[in-house]
Amino acid sequence: MSRCDFKIVLLGSEHVGKTSLVLRFVNCRFNSGTPYQNTIGAAFCAKTMHSNGKDLNIGIWDTAGSERYEAMTRMYYRGAHAAIICYDPCCASSWARLRHWLAELRTVEEDCKVYLCGTKKDLLDTNSTREVPEDIIATYSQGLNGHYLTSSKTGENVEELFQKIVDDCVADRDLMQKVEESRVQLAKEQEKDKSYCLC
Amino acid sequence: MASTSKDGVPDGDKVAGNLGDDLEPGACSDSILNPEDTFEEFASELTPNLQERNILTAKSSTISEIQSEIGECSQLHGTKSSDNLQSKDESISASTSSSNLLEQNGDEADDKDDYLRSPELVNKEKHVFILSSAGKPIYSRYGNEDKLAGLCGVIQALVSVVEEQNQDILRSISTKDCKVVFLMKGPLILVAVSKSNESETQLVMQLTYAFNQIVSVLTLTQLNRIFEQRRNYDLRRLLSGAERLIDHLLIFMEKDPAFLLGAVRCLPLPEKSRENITNAITSTCNKIRDLVFAILIAGNQLITLVRMKKYTLHPSDIHLLFNLVRSSESFKTAESWTPICLPKFDATGFLHGHVSYISEDCQACLLLLTVQRDAFFPLSQAKHTIADKLRRSNCLVAINDALNRNKELPTTNPLKHIGIPEIRHFMYKCKSTAQLFTSDPICLDKLQDYRLRHKEGGDITEKKITKLSDIEHVRKYRKFCSQIHCTSTPAKLIFRSNSDDTILAWITNGFELYVTFDALMEKDQAIRAIDRLLHWIKREEERIFIMNAPTF
Repeated sequence: MSRCDFKIVLLGSEHVGKTSLVLRFVNCRFNSGTPYQNTIGAAFCAKTMHSNGKDLNIGIWDTAGSERYEAMTRMYYRGAHAAIICYDPCCASSWARLRHWLAELRTVEEDCKVYLCGTKKDLLDTNSTREVPEDIIATYSQGLNGHYLTSSKTGENVEELFQKIVDDCVADRDLMQKVEESRVQLAKEQEKDKSYCLC
Repeated sequence: MASTSKDGVPDGDKVAGNLGDDLEPGACSDSILNPEDTFEEFASELTPNLQERNILTAKSSTISEIQSEIGECSQLHGTKSSDNLQSKDESISASTSSSNLLEQNGDEADDKDDYLRSPELVNKEKHVFILSSAGKPIYSRYGNEDKLAGLCGVIQALVSVVEEQNQDILRSISTKDCKVVFLMKGPLILVAVSKSNESETQLVMQLTYAFNQIVSVLTLTQLNRIFEQRRNYDLRRLLSGAERLIDHLLIFMEKDPAFLLGAVRCLPLPEKSRENITNAITSTCNKIRDLVFAILIAGNQLITLVRMKKYTLHPSDIHLLFNLVRSSESFKTAESWTPICLPKFDATGFLHGHVSYISEDCQACLLLLTVQRDAFFPLSQAKHTIADKLRRSNCLVAINDALNRNKELPTTNPLKHIGIPEIRHFMYKCKSTAQLFTSDPICLDKLQDYRLRHKEGGDITEKKITKLSDIEHVRKYRKFCSQIHCTSTPAKLIFRSNSDDTILAWITNGFELYVTFDALMEKDQAIRAIDRLLHWIKREEERIFIMNAPTF
């Protein structure tokens, strides 16, 4: 694993499906057989993506949703270029916590791009009842960088969500300039000391 | 059932005379594990001492000690106190929303009584309940603790009546077929209701483990503070997701003799392979200053443990790590960065753990534990370097062979290799290193079987088991274990024979040995067999045990 150009952090209440989303995106699989297990602390995954003719290495932090880890989650926001805030459209309480995540994020990382992600679309399409009205979501997502309704089970919109994030980041000149700088910096450091990696 | 330790005493001298104290397979002057026994600690929980109760404050913080030793600048990285998961005090006082369960359930008194008779709860071999000292349900092994508010109220009342009226502590209640054991730890009350043959001390041990599991996810500091601020706090809010760890731990304790003996199982490996693995870790990690422990484990067995000088781990902390890894599928799919409190090491703060499996084709899990909360990336880099080195030196193959119980290994089927047909099963603990070896090294499939069987409910059944494994033998050894570890009149050697089998239990300064023979085994015959057994263990000790204590 080498350096990451972009740091993406996943936020959201427990049981909305953050880990499933990352697994679908990184490993292209969804295991409906495994029962739900909460994430302990946080998990890190990396993947290379292409945008605008460039190869970009993105690092994804999948954070724990449980309240117990809340104060710890803050250290994952730091330096994040983009955040995906997840909610489950069929669970009103997961939406209620959204405002909290956003406020937390803004205090630590003001310029972070924020994407809203409704999860478990496959359930919504079949028989579950929507608890979060669409017009509220629409109003709310206006001030943010994007809104996607995804299904980790079918893979619907997952690739699109992450592609949009990378495209937005690449289109951000200031950000890209910093990325280029840190690449150069890292190359220098690696010549000096090959045993450490910074991200 | 003639179970007499007296009968065995003369023979005990003979055995000792024959073998001498010099034969202590696996003994090693320097141990990675803290070999200090905890049996007395559990037993002392049963002797009332009201004053000492509730004073549950850890002495000094080992983590701060390490931080100051490595010159950690507290302003830069934040001291341990800022590591608290719940740093915002207001969030505790504001968290009334879900804490009114007691009141809600109070209205449904009739339903509640029915619930206690529901199949979810009736006819279980062992229940474990955890509640706050205010009587709020926190955990129940079976059923839904929400519906047990009434029962928890009764438990709390029993505890507080004994405490207030008699100035005493309620330790246990015995009925004809059932033992109820109470453990008051800090702000929590833990209760085991058991119809199994476990002794009170063994039940206290299990409750202590359950308590330590809670401390492991919250730290003792945080646990105490929460209840100081709000005596009525509903701890389930903070423990959500950790119930699974307690569930697994309780099952784990029933089947693995490692808990009974306070020892750790090691994965048997050729001496050279273990040395290569240890070297791969030390050579990669010796520059990482804040790394306290690097631990490689597989299938609830220790492969190697490299540590910071001066610090060792207690077996019970390792058991909690085994439990964490074993019960978390998510470690298999990504690198995790996890706060872990090891109660015996330092109950007041978190270590930060980089947890990941070595590779997709090897079920060994590497834990790198540090005091530095921002160290993820250097540790991630180190893990990849270690994995590469292990692959190049063929260590992954050696680990897989041991895990898959390759038939060519002498440790795969020890009884066959030793060639004493009368021995059905044995377990051996080396006391100086707190390591354990049994004739039935746990293989992964068997663990899975046990778990599946247990999922069906843990009901008491009269099942005839055809082939006995460790799991069934643990039940048989329990009584012998408690006689040997009895604090008032401990037995040194027990020889018991009946129509089913013959069991010999023997404790010396260097080891503990439990052997099951065929029925009607003669004593002198048994002693000759044990002599050969000990020599075999001695011959294989480098493979079976970790015989050194590497540091960074």
